[in-house]
Amino acid sequence: MREPAPRSYRAPSTALVPAVELRGLVKTYDEGELSVPVLRGIDLCIEPGEFVSLRGPSGSGKSTLLNILGCLDRPTAGRYVLGGTDVSALTREEQAWVRLHHIGFVFQSFHLLPDATAAENVVLPLFYAGVRRAERERRARELLERVGLAHRFDHVPSRLSGGERQRVAIARALACRPRLLLADEPTGALDSRTGASILELLLDLHRRERLTIVLVTHDPGVAEAASRRIFMRDGRIEDDARA
Amino acid sequence: MAARVLRRHPGRTLLTVLGLAIGVGAFIAMVSFAEGARRSVVRQFETLGTNLLRVRPGSRARAEGVRPAMPLSDADVRLLRREATTLALVVPVARRTLAVTTEAGRVHRTRVDGTEPDYARIAGLRFAAGGMFDATDLGTSNRVCVLGVTVARALFGERDPLGERVRIGPALPARVVGVVAAQGRTTTGSDLDDFVLVPRTTFALFLGATEGYSSLEVRPRSAALFEAARHELTTLLRRSHGLGPAEPDDFTLWSPEDTIRAAEETSRILGALLAAIAAISLLVGGIGIMNIQLVSVSERTHEIGIRAAIGGSPAQILRQFLAEALLLALVGATAGVLLGVGSSWIVAHAMQWPPSVSWRVVALSAGFGTVVGVLFGYVPARRAARLDPIVALRRE
Ligand SMILES: Nc1ncnc2c1ncn2[C@@H]1O[C@H](COP(=O)(O)OP(=O)(O)OP(=O)(O)O)[C@@H](O)[C@H]1O
Ligand SMILES: [Mg+2]
Repeated sequence: MREPAPRSYRAPSTALVPAVELRGLVKTYDEGELSVPVLRGIDLCIEPGEFVSLRGPSGSGKSTLLNILGCLDRPTAGRYVLGGTDVSALTREEQAWVRLHHIGFVFQSFHLLPDATAAENVVLPLFYAGVRRAERERRARELLERVGLAHRFDHVPSRLSGGERQRVAIARALACRPRLLLADEPTGALDSRTGASILELLLDLHRRERLTIVLVTHDPGVAEAASRRIFMRDGRIEDDARA
Repeated sequence: MAARVLRRHPGRTLLTVLGLAIGVGAFIAMVSFAEGARRSVVRQFETLGTNLLRVRPGSRARAEGVRPAMPLSDADVRLLRREATTLALVVPVARRTLAVTTEAGRVHRTRVDGTEPDYARIAGLRFAAGGMFDATDLGTSNRVCVLGVTVARALFGERDPLGERVRIGPALPARVVGVVAAQGRTTTGSDLDDFVLVPRTTFALFLGATEGYSSLEVRPRSAALFEAARHELTTLLRRSHGLGPAEPDDFTLWSPEDTIRAAEETSRILGALLAAIAAISLLVGGIGIMNIQLVSVSERTHEIGIRAAIGGSPAQILRQFLAEALLLALVGATAGVLLGVGSSWIVAHAMQWPPSVSWRVVALSAGFGTVVGVLFGYVPARRAARLDPIVALRRE
């Protein structure tokens, strides 16, 4: 059941190319006659191993940008090169493959399957990647241990705290060993102490595993933790600062 | 995984499965009923097989200007016996319905046949007691009779009727010389054991107010000569009755073959009709699966969004929902097979039909049910696969 890579997709070849490269990226939504511009020309290069925070007023297009980075959505115009490969116009089947193997996603509201245990949630991507059950089991332990939840292996999400749920979601995002982790307000639904511990986990992943992370947040304190801070307004990058 | 999703809504799953199960079960049961009915008719007439032809007076055609039927007479019988080369036996039967009375005064109305000793051979009679009257009885118009078991029981109960005297009609006292073993009932329920046999000559002397014979029972020389015998019988009788070439037969030929063929034809039409009805209920079962899966897809939009967002491909999501539909269909088909085979067996048992569930029908309906379930499961599965993950994720 292992899915082969779609033929048009070339796996990234070297670590020398930027992790993410956006050129003149535009996204508009068609509202009947009207077309609403949400991203109005984004140029952005993110190097492997960067920790980028993305801030901006509500409606400035942060989530839209993150969805495009995550191959959940397609740009209306412009180019998106991921690890040296143009992924601006993949089919849905190809997008799914890229998401599965190269991108980890963490959401504000966790998005865990309510009927599945923590372990089952964590290894869901491995199921789609065609990894065998025994190997999945082993990886589930490893991943839950990594996020400090080894003791919650068999718990369903409703029996986990918000912080624990987000840890399960992070473990799931790491299941297929992606190089790029995208997080859309991962601490937005958590109290500040729990949020801080989640941020600590992300920073740890960034430091120890050289994971490239793009994190959307409204919290300036959280944004401060990043090595590079981008501020968006009205679908444009207004400020881009490296620490 | 598919199994767990279905277990989450056991009531709903059960109802879905039931719809398909009833379809599959009905299909098997209907086809089996038709087949059972056919086999029971065939079994009944097969024993007579291709060894019997029956001639009755009267034409099948009811056209204008056809002259009144000529009775079947001794002249016909003599001509057939003299000239026919393909006929082994020709046995005339005269029939009236009369009251039969014992000396103790018990009365039973029944069919009284005046015939010849060979009738026992041609009708394949077996005797529970005594035997058939013989050529002497026939030659000297002896007042003897043979009873079917229904008559024997009605008149004598558990007592042995052999040697007892009965009065047949108003004028014929006769001694019982034989009782025919039970033959049961026809498919339509009429009693095959409700009759009295007397020598044809005795019948003519004491009960004779009939015009001609009510039938001639004819046995061809061999099964191979059956069609030739049918043809010769027709030719000779037409000559005997002086029919011109343009005139239709004024008698009717019947053989067990005719009935078997008619039964087969009837059951084929009936079977096709019942199968069509059952097929419709199968389709309804399939629609049930589609409905439940559509509900399931819209209820689980968020879940589908999650699966898609973390990398499940449209093809994989399609496969997951098809797997659920397949599981539903398989469970439904299996339950349907049990239901269908069970009810066929019960009906066959109750009607004393030969068992007639054919494994081809079982395989066909189970296969058809599964295919229907999966085909109808495809529409919801495709809908799930086509969901936009972003939109799906936003739905709670
Ligand atoms: N599917 C859509 N159709 C039409 N307009 C949309 C759609 N999705 C988003 N938008 C619009 O695009 C704009 C940017 O949305 P986006 O979700 O990217 O904002 P955001 O920066 O993430 O805001 P927030 O901080 O509130 O999450 C908004 O004005 C929103 O109304
Ligand atoms: Mg947002």
